[in-house]
This record gives sequence, C-alpha cells and structure tokens, in this order.
Amino acid sequence: MSEETGMPDVLEEVPELDLSDSIRDFAGANAEYYAETLTRIQADTENIKFWNMSAVLLGPVWSAARGLWSMFWLFTLGELVALVQIGKGIWGDLGAAKMAEAEKFSQRASEIRIDAANSGNAATSLEIADNLDNAAQIAMAEAQALGDNWWLYLSFGLTAFAALRVVQGMYANRLYEMQYSRWLVNRSIPSGFSWNRLGYAAAMLVFIVPLTLYRFTVSAPVSWMVDFPANKDYFTVSSNWLDGWFDRTADSGKEFFDAITLVAQAVLDTIELALVDTPWPVVAVLLVLVAWRVASIRIAIFTAASLAYIGILGLWEASMISIVMVGTASFFCILIGIPLGIWFAGNERAYTAARPVLDLMQTIPPFVYLIPIIAFFGTGKVPGVLATIIFAMPPVVRLTALGMRQVSPMVKEAAAAFGATPRQILFGVELPLARPAIMTGVNQTILMSLSMVVIASLIGAKGLGQEVLVALQFVAKGQGILSGLAILFCAMMLDRIVQGRFQRQEER
Amino acid sequence: MKDDVVIKLKSAWKIFGTRADEAMKAIETAGIGKAEVLEQYGAVVGIADVSFNVRRGEIFCIMGLSGSGKSTLVRHVNRLIEPTSGEIWLLGQDVMKLSPSALREVRAKRIGMVFQHMALLPHRSVRDNVAYPLEIRGESKARRWNVSQHTLGLVGLEGFEDRFPRELSGGMQQRVGLARALACDPDVLLMDEPFSALDPLIRRQLQDQFMALSDQLHKTTLFITHDLDEAIRLGTRIAIMKDGRIVQIGTPEEIVTNPADDYVRDFVQNISKLKLIFAHTIQVPISDYAAKQGEDLSLSPRISQDVDLDHLVDVAVTTNQPIVTTDEAGADIGVVSKDRLLQGIKGGK
Amino acid sequence: METNIEIQAVDELPNLDISESVTEFTGTSGKYYAREFGRIQESSNGYCWTFNLASALFGPLWATARGLWGLFWVFSVLEVIAAVMIGLGSWGDLGADQFARAERLAGNYERMMERVESAIEQGDEEGEASFRKRADGLLKAQEKALADAEEVEAGATRILVTGIILLVLVKVFEGLVANIAYERQYTRWRADRKVRSGFNRSSGILGAVIVSFVYVVTLMRFTSGNPPEIITEFPIDNTIYLQISSWIDYWFDIASRNFAFLFFGISRAIRIILDGVETLLVGTPWPVVMAVIIIFAYRSAGSRVAIFTAAALCYLAVFGFWQKSMATVALLGTASFLCIAIGIPLGVWFARSQRAYTFARPVLDLMQTLPSFVYLIPIIAFFGTGKPPGILASMIFGLPPIIRLTALGIREVPKDVVEAARAFGATDMQILRGIEVPLATPSIMAGVNQTIMMCLSLVVIAALIDAKGLGYDVLVALQYAAKGQGILAGIAILFCAIIIDRVVQGRFKDAEKGG
Repeated sequence: MSEETGMPDVLEEVPELDLSDSIRDFAGANAEYYAETLTRIQADTENIKFWNMSAVLLGPVWSAARGLWSMFWLFTLGELVALVQIGKGIWGDLGAAKMAEAEKFSQRASEIRIDAANSGNAATSLEIADNLDNAAQIAMAEAQALGDNWWLYLSFGLTAFAALRVVQGMYANRLYEMQYSRWLVNRSIPSGFSWNRLGYAAAMLVFIVPLTLYRFTVSAPVSWMVDFPANKDYFTVSSNWLDGWFDRTADSGKEFFDAITLVAQAVLDTIELALVDTPWPVVAVLLVLVAWRVASIRIAIFTAASLAYIGILGLWEASMISIVMVGTASFFCILIGIPLGIWFAGNERAYTAARPVLDLMQTIPPFVYLIPIIAFFGTGKVPGVLATIIFAMPPVVRLTALGMRQVSPMVKEAAAAFGATPRQILFGVELPLARPAIMTGVNQTILMSLSMVVIASLIGAKGLGQEVLVALQFVAKGQGILSGLAILFCAMMLDRIVQGRFQRQEER
Repeated sequence: MKDDVVIKLKSAWKIFGTRADEAMKAIETAGIGKAEVLEQYGAVVGIADVSFNVRRGEIFCIMGLSGSGKSTLVRHVNRLIEPTSGEIWLLGQDVMKLSPSALREVRAKRIGMVFQHMALLPHRSVRDNVAYPLEIRGESKARRWNVSQHTLGLVGLEGFEDRFPRELSGGMQQRVGLARALACDPDVLLMDEPFSALDPLIRRQLQDQFMALSDQLHKTTLFITHDLDEAIRLGTRIAIMKDGRIVQIGTPEEIVTNPADDYVRDFVQNISKLKLIFAHTIQVPISDYAAKQGEDLSLSPRISQDVDLDHLVDVAVTTNQPIVTTDEAGADIGVVSKDRLLQGIKGGK
Repeated sequence: METNIEIQAVDELPNLDISESVTEFTGTSGKYYAREFGRIQESSNGYCWTFNLASALFGPLWATARGLWGLFWVFSVLEVIAAVMIGLGSWGDLGADQFARAERLAGNYERMMERVESAIEQGDEEGEASFRKRADGLLKAQEKALADAEEVEAGATRILVTGIILLVLVKVFEGLVANIAYERQYTRWRADRKVRSGFNRSSGILGAVIVSFVYVVTLMRFTSGNPPEIITEFPIDNTIYLQISSWIDYWFDIASRNFAFLFFGISRAIRIILDGVETLLVGTPWPVVMAVIIIFAYRSAGSRVAIFTAAALCYLAVFGFWQKSMATVALLGTASFLCIAIGIPLGVWFARSQRAYTFARPVLDLMQTLPSFVYLIPIIAFFGTGKPPGILASMIFGLPPIIRLTALGIREVPKDVVEAARAFGATDMQILRGIEVPLATPSIMAGVNQTIMMCLSLVVIAALIDAKGLGYDVLVALQYAAKGQGILAGIAILFCAIIIDRVVQGRFKDAEKGG
C-alpha cells in the first residue's frame, strides 16, 4: 500500500502487545501451555486447530473445571447419547420387544389349541393356532437378528464417543481463548482451573450418567425411575379437599357472589336490551352512523360490509350476543381499570405490589381461572364476562399507569405552581395528556375481550364463540371459518371505530 | 502536480427524492433552481455542483451551517451516499467505477472516518472498537490488538482498553473514535463534525491533540465543521458551503481578509484576525513610506515580514516608532505604522 | 393599535367582546347565543342556569343542526326510551297476554258448564259435582287472569305517566344542557376552525331522518303486540350460510387431499423434533431432568428462583403431574424452538426490507387478532388431531411477537453505528452478525420470552384437538366441573409458566449484563 501512495505507514511496525502475563493470570494451572497456545491462536488467521490433550482425556470435566459451562452441557448431552448406544450394544436386550411379542403369539396359539379341543370347530381354530405359531417364530427370528446387531450399536456408540472427544480436543483451546477475551473485559467470567468446579461436574456426571444409561439400556427399567412414584392418594385427597373448600366458600360467600353476578347481569341486560332486543335495522344504522361520525367514511363502509356479512350469514343474533359480552367486559375493565391505573401511577408501592398480579393475570392461560369462576359463579354469560374481565383488564391498567407516569413532571409542577388542587391537576393536566396511552389501553382491552369470546363459550356463554366451538367439535370447517370470520369482523369493527376516534383526537 | 491531489470532486450533485434523476436532467438542461426542483419534482438538492481538490497532507475544512450539505458531501467521498451526478476521485481512482467489493476494500484500507456522535459499538470493549476495522479486514487477533493498543496510545488512552464505551466521557469516546479511524492506517481521514458534540473546553483539548497528531502522521484530512473558529484553527484550506454550494475556497487568511460575498463576510466579521493576518499583508513598501514628523526608521524595531499581527502588536507597544519589516535575507522591505496595524486588526487592508 | 399599552389593574380590564365571533360561529341567532355564552363565561365554574327553548323543543334535531353529535345520541336514546314507555302505556296491548288467557279460560269454563248441564240431564250427580268443581276452578282462574290483565292495564297508565314525566324531564334536561355544551363547542371552534359551526340544515335533516327511523322501528318493536318479523329478526334463511359453509368444506377436502403429502411432511418434521425433545424430557429419568432444571434455574436466575423451581417441580411430581407436565413442556419447547428458528430470520428480513414488512404486518396483526380457536379449524382439517397440529396452532399464535420484536430491535440499532461499520468497509453480513444482531439482542430476547408465553397459553388450548398434556386435565375438569382436579392441574400449568418465564428472563438479564 505504502509504496503506491508514498505515505508513511506508521502502523506497520507497531510494538507487540504482550498478553502472556495476563493469560497466565487467567489460566491459573498449566499457565505456560495456555500462554503459548492462546498467543498463537490470537496470531492465527488460518483457523489452525490447536489440540488440547486434557480436553480429550477429561472431556466435559475439563470444560467444567475451566468454567466453560455451555461446552460442558453440550458435550455431556452428546456423550450421553453415545454412551447409551454403547450400553445398548454391550448389555442391552435389543430383541426384548420382539421377543415379548413372540411369546404373546405362542401363548395365544396354545390357548386356541386348548379351546379347539373343546369346541366343534377344531379345524379352523387349529389353522389359526398354526398361523400364530408361525408368526411367533418369525418374531423370534427377528428378535434374534436384532440381538445379533449389538456390534452395530456398540461400534456406532464408540465412534460417536471418539468423534465427540476429538471435537472437544480441537475446539477446546479456541473456546478457551474466547473465554479469555471475555474475561479481559469482565472479570466475573470464570477463570483458572478450579477443583471445585471439577468436583461439581464430576458429581453431576456420576449422578446423571448411570441413571440415564440404566433407563435407556435396560429393557424394563424399574418403574419409579420412569415416572415419579407419586402416591395417587395425595392427589385425590387434595382435590377432594379443594372441592369441599370451593363448595363451602361458594356457600358462605353466596351473597357476595350473587351480588357480583347481579351487577354484571344488570349491565349485561341493559346492553343486551340495546343491541339484541332493539330491532336490527336500528342497531345496524346506528353502528354505521357511529363509525362514520366517530371515525371516517371508510370505516363506516367497512362497518356496513361487516354487518352485512354477519346478517346475510344469519349470525346476527350470535354476533350481537358476543358484542354484548365484549361490551360488558370492556365496560367493567375500563370502569375498574382506569381508576386503578391512576392509583398505581401515583402510588409506587401499590404498583410494585400489583405488578406481579397483573403479570400473572396475563401469563396464566385463561383455562386455569375458568375453574374457580365456575366454582363460584356457575356457568353462563356472567361467569364468561368475569373470565373475560380478568383476561382483558391488565392492558388498560398498565397503560393508564404508564400514560400518567409519562406526563411531563414540569407541566404538573407548573400547574401546582399556579395553585391547582390535586383534583384539578388530575382532570385538567394528567388525564388529558395521558389520553393517548389510555385509549391504546382501551383498544387493547377490547381486542383481548374479543379473543376470549370462544374460551368464555366453553363455560356456556353462547354467542359466536359457541358456533366456533361446536364447529371445532364436529370438524365443520366451513361453519367454523364463517363464524370465526364473524368474530374477526366484530373485532376489527370495534377496533377501527375506537382507533378512528383516537386518531381524530390526535389530529386536533 | 496532479499526483498530489488525494481527493478530487468534480461538479458533484446530490438530489434527494424519488424523482432525482429527472430533476438532475432538468437542472442540466433548463438550469432550474433549488426552489423549482422542490416544487416540480418534490426533490431536495443536497449538494450542488461541488468541485474541489484536497492535496496530500493538508487538512481541508468544509465549513457551513446545518443543512448546508456538508455532512452529505463528506459521505460522497467513500460513497456512503451515491452522488446523482459528477465525478469523485480518490488517490487517482475513480470511486464511482469501483465494484462493491473494491469499494469495501477502499473503505477498509484507505479511509478512516470519525463521526459526530462517535458511533462506537456499545457492545464491544474499547480495544475491540478500535480493532473493528482490522477485524473487518480479517487480520489476526494478535495484530488487531497490537494495533489498537498502539493507536490508543497515540490518542492518550492507555489503560482504558478493557472498558466499554459507555464507561468513558464524551471526549474520551471521541478519542476512541479517532483511534478507530487511525487503526486501519488510512491515507485519508474523513471527520464529520467530530468535536461539535463536546463541551467547549474538551473540544479545545481535542483540537490541540488532533493538530499534534496530524503533525506527526500527516494524514490527508477532510474536516467538516460548523464552527469557523475551528476551521481556521485546524484548516490548511477552508471551503465555505451554503445551500449545498461551495461559496469560497481559500486559506484561512484569504477567507478572512478577502471574503467572497456578504455571506462569508458576516461569518468572518467577529473572527479575531490577530493570528490570521501577517505583516506582509498590511505593510507599506519601504520605498513608498513617507516618514512623519519625529519618526526615524533607523530607530524602528526590525521584524520578519512573516509574523502575524499578534506578534506585531507585542512589538508595537514597546516603541513609538513604526515597525520595519525585513525579508528572509534580513533586508528592510516594508513599514508597518500604528495606523496600518490598527486597520489590520479591524480586518481592512 | 396603540403604540404604548397602558398598564391597567386586572380588575378593570375591558370585557373581551366575543359577540362578533359568536355570531360567526352560530350563524343564526347570534345575539341570543352571544348573550348566553357571555353569561356562561362569566360564571366562575362554567355552569349557570340557561335554558335553550329550541333545544328543549326539538332536542336531537337541534343538536344535529348545531353539529353537536354527542348530544344528539344522548338526546335520541333518552327520548326513544320515553317514547317507548308512552307508546306502551297508550296503545301497547300490555294486558294482551292475560286477556287472551282469560278468554281461553272463559271458553273452557263454558264448555265445562255444558258438561255440567249434560251431566245434570243424565242425572250423573257424581259427574256433576266433579265437573262443577273443575268449572269453579276455571272460573276462578279466569277471574284471576282478568284481574291480572286489569292490573297490568292499570300499570299501563302508570307507565304512560312515567313516560310522560320522563319525556318532560328529558326536555328540560335538553334545554338546560344545550347552551353549556354549545359554548364548549364554541371554545373548541375558536382553536380549531374544523369544529362544526353554524346552523346546518342538511345535518338537521339527516338527524330528523335518523330520529324518525329509529322512533318508528323501535316503537313498532316494543309497543305492538306482535311486531312484524322483519324487524325482530334478520330476514334471512339458513341456506346461504349452509351453502357457503359446505362450499368451504368442499374446497378444504380437496386441498387436504391434493396436498396430503405436504401436510404429512410438515407433521412428520414436527414429530421428529418433538420426539427428540420428548425423549429428553419424558424419557430421561426424572431425577436427572429435575436436577438439570434446578441447576439451570440456579445458574441463569439465582438461588431464589432455583428454590422456587425445586418446590414447583416437587409439586408437579408429588401430585402425579410429572409426565404430563414434561409432555406439555416438550410441546411448548418444540413450538417455541420452531417459532424462534423461523421468526428471527423473518424478523431480520422484515427489518431490512420495508416492502416485505409492509406486506407482512397485516398478516401478523391477523395472526394475533384472530381468536386462536378459529385457526384450530383449518389446522384440524389439514393436519388432523394430535400433537403436531397442536404445535402448529401454537406457532401461529407465538410467531408474531418474535418477528415483530426482532424487526423492531434491528430497526432501532443506531443508524450511525451501522453507518460507521459501513464506512470501515463491513459487508452486509458482517454488519448483521457483528452489530445489528448483538445490539438487537435485548429486544429479541423480549420477543423470545413473549413467544414462549404465547405458545404456553396455546399449548393448553391445543388440548382441545387432542394434544394431551396438562391442558387436557383442565379441559376434562372444566367439562365435569371437577373443581379440585382442575385447580390442581391449573396450578401445575401455572408453575410451568412461572419457571419458564423466570429462567428465560434470568438469562435475558444475564445477556444484558454481558452486553
């Protein structure tokens, strides 16, 4: 380069950086060897392999002692597979399954022979018995053949094991060099040769290897090893006790649960009256108009088309029931969620306490909390709504809290400086500024409620969900897809209308 | 002397927008202006008809306000941005004709670049950040680390090799950026407002350090800045950009004493001229000088005509006499009276 | 206008004259509104007693004409409720059912009396007595029905009166609210001229059309004894639905027959991976699996999580869920593995190609919005039931987060860092592997975590299509309302979820620290 340009190449002769001391520090035991090898690896550009004999001999134990845990687990798994093959080859009863089959055949044959002696239809029975004997002999021969294949397993296992050790030997030093580079910038990375780690790894291997070998090579391992020797009584006793507890609680808290049911039922009935009992032309026209006024003409057209789809396919009532449920659930989510969110935004301790609960509400598969809901509230629409509320509430709480927290403290400070009361700050400053986040939360809540429609119908909530569920049970693809699309259209309709409203506000 | 030109741009244009090519054609044929381009083609002119040469070893500063197209311009040299039309030559090679792999090779070996916001790799240690260009070239780790150790030494950052960039202050980070640019031992340094994100004091230190390094390494440098003081401090020559065009190219002294238009004049107005204007610029030839009453040129202090005003002022306060300037041989050649000196400080001739 | 502004005490400031702008805003009756708005604005809390007669009289129509659509909806609903009550009270046949019953009973009574008479003629005293007894019963029932009907009829007056009172209240409300709402609209309009202003005849007409339509149809539905069927039910028979659905069935059958090899191949591939994971988790002796999981939890998330993990695993084992939960985890592992293996490259691609991302986004949205049960159906149709279809369904649900977050993470890598790498001659591949992927790792790991959780919630649902595992236990418990069993199995699922979540998040934090 420098000849062409005539430039001084100042970096051509940079002094060597001597890292050998630091490598010695890192390697601990056998420091000289590693100082030399790692330095050579660093100077290498051709991907030369540097053989590490102790890694070959010790295998995973070496990686553990040197703190290369990923390598330890990977090769332990590989070597276990190889060892299982070797074990099968040496003492495994390879033909066991076939042998058992053969025995069954011949036993059945002898049974038939005994029967034949007593019955009139001796000829055919004897023929069957002969056939079975034949089959038994064939199976026996196959078992024999399988048993003769022991050397195949053995040689495969041995080769695999050897290959794994070779690979470990080849890559050990390279991986160790990478570990060293990481260690340079982060001293908490394990370094040196540790007898502790070695012992730990050896103990683990001593525990894992024999058990696994035994399990996979013996044809009939003891049953406690295959499955945990659980005492069925524990389960029965606990589940009975739980049953009793649920019954008792449902009984003693009857007023409480009834009150909740009553409130939910009242809201449900009101919305149902508005959507289901009101003549469909009114509902359809109103929905389209709302979509138009609140969002835009495009969304109004989309709404009209979706409603037409629902109506023409005769899913009107089912859809309205689903929307009623979604509406009720969303109503409660918003009614409870926004104040909760406001509270959590202001109260750090409450939020810290509530966050795991919110996480849990979103993490638990909804199936799980359907059960206590059934236990306390029975089946039907109200329990369906309650399950939906549990599932769909977290987003609105979270996003309200988030939106409130994101309001610039300067603005709040300014309001406070003019003597605004907390209430005035809340309604005049925080809520208007947090509105986009809250609206996003509301939107998510609505969508999540809709995704619960089918699950809620598992506990008798009717509506579109039931149509899908029935279709699923009878593999009625067409029906399932048509009603599934109806759910989708309902979801998109609600989503677009709410989003459209939100966007319009944003524009202002 | 053509060989001496390291970077050469010849009427380079860059127009941003989906219809850039049509707009370019219209500019060439109809000669429409910036506003028309935006109006008719929805395209924005980034740089317009830029030509300049950068000679070996010089620090060529490009000065302009934000939006003047200077950062766009510097990215044309290594084709991070493709010009719409024009020629770009680097070390005698037509950059526009390079294949992608050849271009990468040029970027990896010939050009080092320093960025306004450092653009360090946050997940790598300082050592590996500096070594990054060499890693791209496929050098061995030992070589990478040797070089990075050495260049970190050049910028005065020994002992920080195993830190992460986020653990360093802004000034130190930018020194890492500089070390990284130097690590591949490039022929050309492209510096895109390297010091403008730093505090004034740190900026000053880094400028000094950069000048010292530059004296040592003699890298041809294309230096982008929005700060005229910086350009004057560092630049061998300065190009002033406005709206994508180069308004004036010249040495700092030329720019200051002879601004091409009102735009440049506005800029240089508040610049201290003390170190930019030299005695030979303001002196009156000794033959033309008519001594005033009480002046005796034989009593005047003698001084080389190549000293700057700063020095002249120092001399002038010690005497009542006008100052006589001498050429290299020591012969009297001109006279600087106090009036001339004061005029010179004001920036006139 | 004046060059030197006189400084005045705040109390003596001249009144801001809004009448001109109010007139511009209202179009008609500018003076009235200017006066009323002035009064509202003078009140300290923005409320004052002001009554708008036009609004009280025309209610919803006034609201639409003035562009107050929000008020329009409120007014219409309230008025319709009042109207329905008035309608029910004045001509609604409230007692109709009871009257009809009374009439029927009267008929029966007469027939019974005939029998009584015939019994008298025949001299059948016993018969006569029993018939008379029955006839008496009928008579009483009829009387009661009549009384009920009358009571309901009397109730009709009550409903009528309530309706009228409600209507009056609504009207008063309309009158009181109108100016205040209109003043707010005016304030908004001052800042944003797009807000509707003026007296708009065509909106008023639109409002009138809507209101009359709603009135007529609703009144018909609620007040007439037997409303025409067209308004109670959508006038459609089942044929279209059945036709379309059988047509879909037909095409599904054809597709599943013709591409059987493809579906079979996919199932097979999934099966192979699943078998591997199952051997590892279910086949390996439980003490080994348990120990390895606890060690793993310890190494990646610390001793507290390890203790929790140990306790949770004990729970699984003691209650006999070991094999089922390991089978569930195997399903989950396979699904998540496939999601990650497919999702990360896709995410990388979408991050780099804007066009691909634009196309893919609606699909991703759809995958997440569509209730999971819906796509179980085509999956059953093509892949049958069992574990591989369950995994496929989980993948549909679990893919979007990882794709999205990978794309997001890569897009959020600082542009200047990428540019710097390019300036030093890095190839696209070097940039991707050396810069974009490492810097996007936190985002990608968040995606992995979300994907795993999504897959878990679907693995449970997949029990519906015979994918077994813990979800099956819960499903059975649901069907038989076996609370105890269901809760025990549910807790087992919960523990699996928490263990996985904690371990993955622990790893994620490690990755953060290391980076």
